[in-house]
Amino acid sequence: MLEISELHKVYVSPGRRVEAIGSVTLSVGAGELVCVVGPSGCGKTTLLRCVAGLLPASGGEVRVNGVPVTGPPPRMAVVFQEYGRSLFPWMTVRQNVELPLKEKRVPAARRRELVAGSLESVGLSDAAGAHPWQLSGGMQQRVAIARAVAYEPEVLLMDEPFAAVDAQTRADLEDLILRLWRDSRITTLFVTHDIDEAVYLGQRVVVLSSSPTTVMEDLKIDLPAGRDQLTTRSLPRFGELRGHVYRQIQRARGHGADR
Amino acid sequence: MTASGPLKVLRALAMPALLVLAWWAVSGSTFYLPSPAAVARAFAETWLSERLVDDVLPSAGRLLAGYALAGLLGVGLGVPIGLSRRLRATLEPVLEFFRAVPPPVLVPLIMLLAGIDTPMKVLVIVSGCVWPVLLNTVEGVRALDGVLADTCRMYGVRGVARLRRFVLPGAAPQIMAGLRQALSIGIILMVISEMFASSSGLGFTIVLFQRQFQIAEMWSGILLLGLLGLVLSLLFRRVERWVLAWYYGSGAARA
Repeated sequence: MLEISELHKVYVSPGRRVEAIGSVTLSVGAGELVCVVGPSGCGKTTLLRCVAGLLPASGGEVRVNGVPVTGPPPRMAVVFQEYGRSLFPWMTVRQNVELPLKEKRVPAARRRELVAGSLESVGLSDAAGAHPWQLSGGMQQRVAIARAVAYEPEVLLMDEPFAAVDAQTRADLEDLILRLWRDSRITTLFVTHDIDEAVYLGQRVVVLSSSPTTVMEDLKIDLPAGRDQLTTRSLPRFGELRGHVYRQIQRARGHGADR
Repeated sequence: MTASGPLKVLRALAMPALLVLAWWAVSGSTFYLPSPAAVARAFAETWLSERLVDDVLPSAGRLLAGYALAGLLGVGLGVPIGLSRRLRATLEPVLEFFRAVPPPVLVPLIMLLAGIDTPMKVLVIVSGCVWPVLLNTVEGVRALDGVLADTCRMYGVRGVARLRRFVLPGAAPQIMAGLRQALSIGIILMVISEMFASSSGLGFTIVLFQRQFQIAEMWSGILLLGLLGLVLSLLFRRVERWVLAWYYGSGAARA
């Protein structure tokens, strides 16, 4: 579904050459939810922007359904970390969710259906007429998620979407993502720096090294599918996986510091 | 600091009343400073007559025409310049130069090119008003949020929709700031253009009164100009509040 092969990215500016991504190869199967986790500053966002077609890669390629990505693919949606800046403040919640559908030429009746359905699924039916700045941070990120879901993407990319919300909101939003994913089975690539979050959400967790980034480990998360903040997180296996990923990241960090 | 209705009105009127009193106290000491009563009488006689149609309306019409034209031109040129880094690099030094040229000195030049009638006056107003609008639009478009730009790209918002839904609203706070500056420049240029070669208009009339030693009438003209400016800026604030409701609501204006 989503194949990233030997992706390489170098930022070149006069007198400076920064190798952000060494070589990353990973694939996400149809309907899979894969979390990408790595030490801070490891080029997670660069990777995601390359996958989204927002940033040209220096080498290697990204394919969606076999089609190479050269610009933002038509059936891909992104939820950005900066929720406050990814919603249009001059539009209401409903208009924000509806705009991409209008551009996709979705008929009005279907559009209304999709907007209402997606707002309901994130629990914001009552806020449709509000402006984003009238909502809390967590609610704003829900709007961004509703917008992505209403777009009916084949691939959903999430760039540390919950990094800027408080812990309780974060837990709610994690469960929201799990529920939406279970209902729709949208192929999802979820980038985060939070190890717990990666293990809790992912079917697989891909651990990245520090920059220049490579894949250190592609770990299958063998936790039961029906996940729950309380029971899943208190499973011994959860602790083991979490500890394992943590050690890997520490290793990545140490490795990076040696360079 | 919440004052009730009547108190608010009282507070707003206190300063003008004080100024009129001070004016009263010093008036009469010289021929050139008539009393408020004399000016008020002259005001009623001069402006509540056919002069309103012959002088005030043409002036206001030229001001609005020039202002609207400058607004369209400024935004129309500012958006492409703001969107293109290359255009900006080429044009910005030149634009700063043109902006630095005081518009009144263009009046003789524009008179040569466009004659002395209405087109000249409108052109003078445009030549002064266009710069703040243009430069503010460029700045507003240049500073559009990168995350929103990415959002537009991801969700296929491009072309006209991108302009209408993203670029123009996003730059609107800056564009409005430019338009506000342009409004006061426009009033100044309206008067100046009429002082050069004219047979009607507010600027012309005020100069005429001065030359004929109709001092109270001259003062009443100045008073009228002040009132015109006040009304226009109040109207502008209304429009701005409406256009930028989201901006004031979000608290971005305070940040």
